[in-house]
Amino acid sequence: MSFEISKEKNEIKENEKSAINIALAGNPNVGKSVIFNQLTGLSQTIGNWPGKTVEKKTGSLDFLGYKFRIVDLPGIYSLSTYTLEEIVSRQYIISDEVDLIINVIDATNLERNLFFTFQLLDLKVPMILAINQMDILRKRHINLNFEKLEEIFKLPVLPVVAVHGKGVHELLEEAIEMVVYKFPHSHYNGTEPENCSHHGHDYYREVHLSDQNNTPNECSREKFEFPDLNELFEYGKEIEYKIKRLQSEIEKHNKQISKFKYPSRFLAIKLLEEDSEIIEIFGKNPDLGYILKNAEKYRNELENMHGEDIHTIISSEIYNKINKIIDEVQEIQPEKERKHDRLTDKLEHITTHSFFGYIILILVILGVYYFTFNFGDFFGGLIDGGFSKLSEYVYNTFGEENIFISVLWDGGVGGFFGAISGVLVYVVPFFLIIEILQDSGYLPRVAFLMDRAMHAIGVHGKSIITMILGFGCNVAGCAGCRIMETEREKRISIALTSLIPCAAVLTVVMGLVGRYLGIGWVLLLFIINFAVILLVGRILNKSMPGSCTELIMEMHEYRRPNFSVILKQTWVRSKEFIFKALPLLVILGISLEIILIFRLLDPINIILSPITVVWLGLPAVTGVFLIYGILRKELTLALLLILADSIGITLLGLLSPIQIFVFSLVTMLYVPCFATIVVIAKQTDWKYALQITLLEITIALLIGGSIYWIYTIFMAI
Amino acid sequence: MRRVKGTPTHQGISLIKCLTECNDGQELTVVNVNSGRGAKMRLANLGIIPGSKIIKKQSAPFRGPVELNVKGTSIVIGRGLAAKINVRCNNDCQT
Repeated sequence: MSFEISKEKNEIKENEKSAINIALAGNPNVGKSVIFNQLTGLSQTIGNWPGKTVEKKTGSLDFLGYKFRIVDLPGIYSLSTYTLEEIVSRQYIISDEVDLIINVIDATNLERNLFFTFQLLDLKVPMILAINQMDILRKRHINLNFEKLEEIFKLPVLPVVAVHGKGVHELLEEAIEMVVYKFPHSHYNGTEPENCSHHGHDYYREVHLSDQNNTPNECSREKFEFPDLNELFEYGKEIEYKIKRLQSEIEKHNKQISKFKYPSRFLAIKLLEEDSEIIEIFGKNPDLGYILKNAEKYRNELENMHGEDIHTIISSEIYNKINKIIDEVQEIQPEKERKHDRLTDKLEHITTHSFFGYIILILVILGVYYFTFNFGDFFGGLIDGGFSKLSEYVYNTFGEENIFISVLWDGGVGGFFGAISGVLVYVVPFFLIIEILQDSGYLPRVAFLMDRAMHAIGVHGKSIITMILGFGCNVAGCAGCRIMETEREKRISIALTSLIPCAAVLTVVMGLVGRYLGIGWVLLLFIINFAVILLVGRILNKSMPGSCTELIMEMHEYRRPNFSVILKQTWVRSKEFIFKALPLLVILGISLEIILIFRLLDPINIILSPITVVWLGLPAVTGVFLIYGILRKELTLALLLILADSIGITLLGLLSPIQIFVFSLVTMLYVPCFATIVVIAKQTDWKYALQITLLEITIALLIGGSIYWIYTIFMAI
Repeated sequence: MRRVKGTPTHQGISLIKCLTECNDGQELTVVNVNSGRGAKMRLANLGIIPGSKIIKKQSAPFRGPVELNVKGTSIVIGRGLAAKINVRCNNDCQT
């Protein structure tokens, strides 16, 4: 397709102002996000699906005079109700918001990918099949017959090499064909679909060009007709019979059912499969109750006949179909054996090794700490230095006693720079590392190694991934908990991740305990911290209904990280943080400054003194520091140093060794930082965020106080 | 250790055992999955259904999860669930 036609398409677009809405759907790790990035570049936004904690990536672009709005759906294996992502995806696909699906398929794993394609086809939404990773397939000397594929699916099937951007924009050209001209164009045999065969494609265009007064729709169809795929779908006799029966029963109630937009065949299959969402739809309407009963009867009959559960029966049917299709379209050149990439094989072996695997894991965690910490420290120092120079200038110009300057400059601007130098500089390098680990495929290996250990605290291996994220920054870690499949696991993971000592906590621990007491005490603190994580995991595991689900996870092969995708993703995530968390921190900074000016914190010290002075044995002034620490944990250390400096003594003159230890321990555990609390609330709800906060405060005070009292009693004896 | 006797074949007796009992590197055929509905559905979606051929690649140390090769990709399954998958050896394997 050339750009010559773009002018004329432009005119059509004038009449149809609305954008073309595309949803990218497919299994995880098929290159969906690479295609998404190629198409939308930096115009993406990451948000949440309304009312759900599933991430929604949206982007837009202009191409050939059309505006495209593209949504990258989460990577899923089927359209059941196993995960929230699956429910969100299928509800979105049938909504009016989607004009077209691009189903991204990994050419090297056709069997599993086509399983999802079959599920999508059931929804009868216009669709393009994009077969990605064609380069790898060719390297393996496997040919795919695209002509055959189009013949089978009666929909456009296009080859794509997403990492090189090949074939990506052709997808959009095809989308224009389907959404604007309402029919798919066959690429391989040159014929048009039957219904329109008497008009060629070009004929349409000429008409538009020659007679512009005509309404553009005159030659294009009103509505895209989804191809008749009955032959393709036809399952085994008994199942097919029962599906058809249910389907005709459902169609009798078209009025009540049509508002849900699911096609009748999809509903029939899902009723047989005992799909919770669909059953609920039918259960609400008393007229439809008998269909539910019939579905149950049919299901029992089928299960008895096959001696298998219904999902197994239907999945087997689909996999049988797929195997036949693959036999037809795939051609393997036998003389050439598939060559293994030696390096990835070795990496694979060593990173899942029963000894070296754990060594590498520890090195990676230390590496994440080291990189995040050094990067953040360096740039944070630069920014802080710059800010204090600026502050000096501002105070010299406006005078130090000016209240407005105090509030606006120290609180507002200071809060802003503080958030950048204290949080953002740690978050950005961290996002970068994590994107690299994720894109290369290392993280699932960690889940594999740690699954057994994680079961001890009530979650499966995947939540170790979020906990590793937590080492760099709890904010990122808690946000990453959306990868957990069930709400229960997500909540437990979030709670545990918020207890992981992040880079900021490490500053406090190293700056206080490491410097004044020695590294052995740091180690002890970390051991206590991990014991607390274990304890909280156990408590939550017991207190939450349900039980720990088993790990089922795909572990894709190692691949070279795609740096353009990684940089874009890092930017998009950082952008999220800048626009959502920074304003909050600035507001908080201003309000804290006001509180300070009017000495509102003095009463707080007095109120808190039973806890800080009596129970924990700390100086009263630490009450304020701990309040500040909620904003940024390393502030507790910074304020201590400032205080000691202003009195003219060293820190050891201010705090005794036991006080240093208790203070650091409490800082480590007592509360997630404010940004983390916000993220927890966004991922779950405010009630849960507060519950976690309270639980952590309680634990910190219990342990901190116990250590102080045991020490005191011990010394007295 | 649960061991169910399978059907005799011309090569001798082929045993049906649970996935966790098999050696690494063995080619296996799934006989059945005795898990709950949810996990069964998930496994079926991933292609682990009676009759499908899988290879046990390795299991993680300390009685950890099992890594399988199913239809050309690696799938990791928690040990508790893997113990509920019964398989038959394809080549005559030693028990």
